[in-house]
Amino acid sequence: MNSEDSYDAALDLLRRLNPSRLEHHLKNLIQLEPTLAEDLLSSVDIPLTIKRDPKDSQKEYLCCDYNRDADSHRSPWSNEYFPELSEQDLEESPFPSEPLRKLEILFNDSFDVYRDLYYEGGISSAYLWDVADDTSNIVRDFAGVVLFKKSNQSSSSWDSIHVLEATFENDNEVTYRITTTILLRLDKDNSIKLSGNLSRQTEKTVTINASNNADQINIAHITNVGSMIEDIEYQMRILLEAVYFEKTRDIFHETKNGAVSTEQKNKTAHEEIIKGLQSL
Amino acid sequence: MASQFDSVIADIISDAPSGEITEIYEDLIKIVGESAKESILEAIEQYNIRNCIPIEVEGKQIIISEYNKDGVKFIDPITAISFSVDHLNRTGFDIGSSDISLSSVQEEIVKNLNEYTASDFSGEVTFGVYPIPNEEDKTSIIISSTKYNASNFWNGEWKSKYIFDSSSNSLEGEIDVDVHFYEDGNVSFKSNKKINLSSVNDAVSALKEVEVEFEKELDSSFSDLNEKQFKSLRRKLPITRSKVNWGKAIGNYRLGKDAAQGITN
Repeated sequence: MNSEDSYDAALDLLRRLNPSRLEHHLKNLIQLEPTLAEDLLSSVDIPLTIKRDPKDSQKEYLCCDYNRDADSHRSPWSNEYFPELSEQDLEESPFPSEPLRKLEILFNDSFDVYRDLYYEGGISSAYLWDVADDTSNIVRDFAGVVLFKKSNQSSSSWDSIHVLEATFENDNEVTYRITTTILLRLDKDNSIKLSGNLSRQTEKTVTINASNNADQINIAHITNVGSMIEDIEYQMRILLEAVYFEKTRDIFHETKNGAVSTEQKNKTAHEEIIKGLQSL
Repeated sequence: MASQFDSVIADIISDAPSGEITEIYEDLIKIVGESAKESILEAIEQYNIRNCIPIEVEGKQIIISEYNKDGVKFIDPITAISFSVDHLNRTGFDIGSSDISLSSVQEEIVKNLNEYTASDFSGEVTFGVYPIPNEEDKTSIIISSTKYNASNFWNGEWKSKYIFDSSSNSLEGEIDVDVHFYEDGNVSFKSNKKINLSSVNDAVSALKEVEVEFEKELDSSFSDLNEKQFKSLRRKLPITRSKVNWGKAIGNYRLGKDAAQGITN
């Protein structure tokens, strides 16, 4: 059995098993086949965990595999790992280069405002990393992740995970590729559980004025990535609404439709006929 | 002997949507190898019995459960047969006769269930009516309705099961709904309701009433979850009703907010 086959099989399993027990099944699979651990942990999006930054007024930040080193997670606020790592460990720990850290701060400040406007609460964090050794003080290609999490008093929660890559096609054109996963869990008095994750990919090439200085280029990056993420979340929210509340209800009625009135049945039949005619 | 390995396999299988057991079986074989075949098949057998899975026997769907298990075989009192089960493929074989028959009360339940399931269920519907050994007043009633649509990445399942006691006129049981949608993701909708009724003379009309009510409740819960919970997680548009002004100007939102707070303070 080659490892790629078992990795694909593990991903297929996780797409089939109850998504509200995703973390549990991830552990199950790693227990069955420990060699899958690294690949699965870096590619499967699970609900984000929360830590507090003791160096920045205990402000909360989000944790995932992208800001993890051993059991510690880097805070976007103080740029330090918590629980604190030893001097020796820190030499090996990933940090963004100085110019990229500037952009990371700008990302965090901007998405914090966005979070407030759309989520009215919740937590946001953005992490960037360099994709090439670059000594210039102007950020060229980079990658990162933008995270949002909102939970309410019941056990409902929303987690957005946007993994992004910015690649300069030439001096003036940047392509942004964003892979978004939204994990949504809704629960009503424990009698109804809607849970799951939906993903989609977006790509856009944008012109940037290469003669601008570092700060101006950073502003261009956050403007481009910010409006892309805003558009993606808008579209995804519509998709989630359609899938969670309409699609699953329709599928349920494919098994039982006793409460559906005759009138509705006729209407559905009528729509089916029209659909049938249109597809001719 | 149930090893740790077996219990992990059983845990994975127990969470499978009923329409995807073969895919899950194949995935597991790819991960743990052919040597785990027996352990997986054992878990699937337990799954089928616990989840009242319909088995195809001579072209007819027959539900298997703890109530119609007879040694290593299963029985169908309606057609008076016994059969063995290929649990992975959900087919019956080694078909023989069974002398377990239904009482007149149970015959009446079968007749009424035929009518009810034909009118109220839109999936592949089947039901089982099983006498409970040594408890002659008790009857197990199970309804299963499924719609599997793998080519469109979804599967739906309805299952309701009850114990009707014709001496105390009680009807106890539960309804389980399980919907799985997995195009570009993995979305699951599950609902469960426990039923406990007394003064029941006609078991089928009582459970029909409960099930129609449950269906209506679900429909209103969907709109409720959408209107309340979902909305409270993330707005469609910001309070300002316009898209975010990205770039340098984004700082103005902060200033505006601080200023507003300054006024109210």
